[in-house]
Amino acid sequence: MLRLVVSRLLYAAVILLGVILVVASLVKLVPGDPVDVIAAGNPGMSVQDMDVLREKMGLTRSVPEQFVAYLGNAVQGDLGTSIRQGVPVTSLIADRLPATGELAFWTLLLAFVIAIPLGIVTALKRDSWIDYAGTFVAVLGVSMPGFLLAVLMILWFSIELRWLPASGYRGSALASIGRAVAERDIGIFWNAFRYFILPSISLAFVLVAVNARLIRSAMLEVLQQDYITFATAKGAPRLTIILRHALRNALLPIVTLAGLQMGALLSGTVVIETVFAWPGIGRLAVDSIHVRDYPIIQAVVLVSAALFISLNLIVDILYRFIDPRVRND
Amino acid sequence: MTEAVIVPAAARPATERRFLGSLGRSAKGLTGLFLIAIIVLCALFAKSIAPHDHAQQVIEWRYAPTVWQDGGSTTNLLGGDNMGRDILSRTVMGAQVSIQVALIVVSIALVVGSTLGALAGYFGGIVDTIIMRIVDFQLAFPFLLLALIFMAVLGAGFATLVMALAFALWINFARIVRSETMRIRTLDYVDAAITMGVSQLRIIFTHVLPNVLPAVLVVATLDIALVIISEAALSFLGLGVQPPTASWGVMISEGRDFLYEQPWIVIAPGIAVLISSVGINLFGDFLRDYFDPRLERM
Repeated sequence: MLRLVVSRLLYAAVILLGVILVVASLVKLVPGDPVDVIAAGNPGMSVQDMDVLREKMGLTRSVPEQFVAYLGNAVQGDLGTSIRQGVPVTSLIADRLPATGELAFWTLLLAFVIAIPLGIVTALKRDSWIDYAGTFVAVLGVSMPGFLLAVLMILWFSIELRWLPASGYRGSALASIGRAVAERDIGIFWNAFRYFILPSISLAFVLVAVNARLIRSAMLEVLQQDYITFATAKGAPRLTIILRHALRNALLPIVTLAGLQMGALLSGTVVIETVFAWPGIGRLAVDSIHVRDYPIIQAVVLVSAALFISLNLIVDILYRFIDPRVRND
Repeated sequence: MTEAVIVPAAARPATERRFLGSLGRSAKGLTGLFLIAIIVLCALFAKSIAPHDHAQQVIEWRYAPTVWQDGGSTTNLLGGDNMGRDILSRTVMGAQVSIQVALIVVSIALVVGSTLGALAGYFGGIVDTIIMRIVDFQLAFPFLLLALIFMAVLGAGFATLVMALAFALWINFARIVRSETMRIRTLDYVDAAITMGVSQLRIIFTHVLPNVLPAVLVVATLDIALVIISEAALSFLGLGVQPPTASWGVMISEGRDFLYEQPWIVIAPGIAVLISSVGINLFGDFLRDYFDPRLERM
């Protein structure tokens, strides 16, 4: 087990190193360097000024040297300085990461709270109207681009009905729970949480569609197994059979895919954060691309890839604890 | 799932009949095909269907409501946008852009991905290791993020968009073709071909790839929907097709600023995106059920 964990960790490190190398070389492909970008914004800058700045930023060194320097700094948590804002990239990302993280949290919570019952019911009531409705939701969920759903929901829930805010972020909803409990005022929580609702639904819809289908087909397969027949024969309550015997096994394929779905979620946040003016790393990336702030782009990609790789690593290892059949292989 | 290709030429009409019969019985397949037909017809005959030039700006058409709203007229059936352009004409032209991007991207990804996948699956060993490590590596990048890096480095535009999406998608084909090739490679008729001294390249192209085709077809269909959605999303972010080209993503992004007063600006392109992706996904689902009935029962 330990050997497995170590080998996976090493593999993840190699992939991450490759990601850094590829992104760094891609950025090097861009015509012009950061100094050109800065100079474009400062017409008063002379050629001498630019050379001095190049020297200061280490751009006169060879490319491998620059790469090793970047890597060395990255390991120590220094991902460079924003060209436009002159602020350390690490602090920019650290400021924005919690908003994205909490959005992902509510999205996943919402997705599973809906997908699991939907998957179970559509499997049990196969070929009924509720199953067909489930199929409809699944097709719509896979086909609906997140940004379109977001715009349509803003149109309906914010503009027509005026129930929920059209955009913005008013701090962490999770952090407000403590205060809401202490002051016995649910309004405190609601004031932060209502900003999460539309973005979370926009992101969760596709996950609900995919996961409900997966749980449905896994349930159908599990329900045919002998041990379910046996449990029924010995007179176990139907609910116990469904939840304890069937669902626990039906959820296994979801665990495998959970890591990969985090990738879809990361991609989704890029778009959804832009729609809802959400101060997360997704919007940071898009904004930086528009103004060609390469150190930020490079860092956001790096952080996203690192998150994605480590989440998949955790899922991979977790899976062996959950499913003894894999562990014994 | 392979008999569609193995049958001798004389029997082919029967397979066609079987396919059409199966399609005729499938509500999913027919609905999908119908929706796809709408979009494809719009794309093919965009110039004739569009009542106006998609780029023509007329002051009086600015914020013109749709024909069924107060003040709407038959001049602009779906209304006018913020620049005084006819929304119906732009939505119809958008079909052309979407389908162009989707077909080019999926063709490139299909050819590159299938070839590399077939090589990896057929030869195994070091070839397999190298190709699959690249695939693994690319899986570490979330799909849209990978496309974003491309746009950031090469600058937004049609060519970059196509390259970025194709680069992000080839792994889907490589993975399915590799696993199918590995399965087919162990079948008796491939062994027979090897024994007869058929060259390896010939075996791959005439004996293996044709039998991988059904699986590739399913992935290609579903990926077309994925490309249409991604193109719209990237264009929406201002990183894909550039204005004034009429792309659905661009139209939705431009109309977003006028949601309060003129919501119809985003509704038409929004529905167009939905029709195409729902249609393709339904038809893709049908194809998968047809080629792999094992999944249908689930």
